[in-house]
Amino acid sequence: MRTWLTLLAVTWFAARTAAGAEPPPVRLVVKPLLCVVDKPADSCNVLFDIRWKSVLPGEYCLNDETVAAPLRCWPRALSGELQHPREVSEDFIFWLAPPAGTERAAEVKVEVLRVGSDDRRRERRSRHVWDVL
Amino acid sequence: MTIPRLQQLLAVSALWALLHPAYAQTETPATPATTDAALPAPATVKPTRPLPAERNWRFGIGLGYGMRTNPLVLSDDIPIIVDLDIAWFGKRWFFDNFDLGFQLTDNPLFTANAVARVNSDRVFFGKTNIRYVNFTIAAGGDRVPIAGAPPPPGRPDNGPSLADDPQPLEVPDRDYAIEMGLEMLFGGEWGQASLRGFHDVSQTHEGFEISADYSYRWTLGRFSMSPTLGLAYKSDDLSNYYWGVNPQEAGLTLQPYEAKGGVDWEVGLRTSYYLTKSVRLAISADYERLHDSVASSPIVAEDHVIGYFAGAAWQF
Repeated sequence: MRTWLTLLAVTWFAARTAAGAEPPPVRLVVKPLLCVVDKPADSCNVLFDIRWKSVLPGEYCLNDETVAAPLRCWPRALSGELQHPREVSEDFIFWLAPPAGTERAAEVKVEVLRVGSDDRRRERRSRHVWDVL
Repeated sequence: MTIPRLQQLLAVSALWALLHPAYAQTETPATPATTDAALPAPATVKPTRPLPAERNWRFGIGLGYGMRTNPLVLSDDIPIIVDLDIAWFGKRWFFDNFDLGFQLTDNPLFTANAVARVNSDRVFFGKTNIRYVNFTIAAGGDRVPIAGAPPPPGRPDNGPSLADDPQPLEVPDRDYAIEMGLEMLFGGEWGQASLRGFHDVSQTHEGFEISADYSYRWTLGRFSMSPTLGLAYKSDDLSNYYWGVNPQEAGLTLQPYEAKGGVDWEVGLRTSYYLTKSVRLAISADYERLHDSVASSPIVAEDHVIGYFAGAAWQF
């Protein structure tokens, strides 16, 4: 019985240690998160303010869904920031990941909203004032 | 429906307060950086993927508070709490909030559609009441109404009878009309405009309407504003059916009246602030002036219609 209890305690301790070795939580904040596009433009030129913060020091790279290489990497840091100019014409994701890792530590989606349409029928004016959409 | 202005402001403020924290959380300020290595320099990136195709369906809902005044006598204003937006656009056919259309042509200059729709004047006649009026014989033999008479026993708003023969004063019933017509839509960097001509095909009013409107949308960041100007000529038949009083409907309380055609005009403003791709705050206001012959009708109390709405709108 004593042996079983010892084994149980060791297993529980090992499990806790393994859990502690997982990547620490990372918070990624990007501004702005929404680009509103109206005719005749088909994209926004945005200067993204990107900031991240980690509980534990780590090596992270910032990635853009549409670009193969990381935009920037930070060697063993608690936080980082970047001003990143980009032309945006569709939804995409920024994410942080270790340089060699595939698992994303944090990600943020930037969305594009088109309020105009090339189809004039979709721009028909509603005839009732309560049609506000 | 009368609600004090303070309550209206509180309702809009509460809606804003409800939505704003959710927005703020997505853009919480970050802590200052402690390390920022000079690794690859950021570069401007231009994606080359084609733009996503627009969906055929458009479905949205607006929740908030608004009102449309009712120009009819003995009528209630029309509250606006929920607004649904349902539309479908095929290659040629389309359905846009109960307008059914077929695209005849689409070229760089304009788009022409054949459209069937329901006349919008009828909506006011769904919010009317009855008032009972007592008459007395004045000098010379004319019957003169006595204001404020209660209804007779056994009628709606039952109350004690103070006179012998109270007469109901009631706005006559009107039917919805199905109208068909053509519309031309124009659009460019200068704004959007439309020309429309519709005729009754349901043998309801047997009249027609010709209208034109222009709007221009400014978009700055998340904010969008769209003022609108519009004119509508309504024919004699259309005006008289909805806003006139025919001899069969006339009586002691309502004199016969023949409304003539004329030009209504309207101005409006719609503003939106986009919180996310699918949620926005919307405020709209509209003023519509009825033409003189309609405004002079005995069933019309106000020569204008004012509409406003403030709330949140979801686009799915």
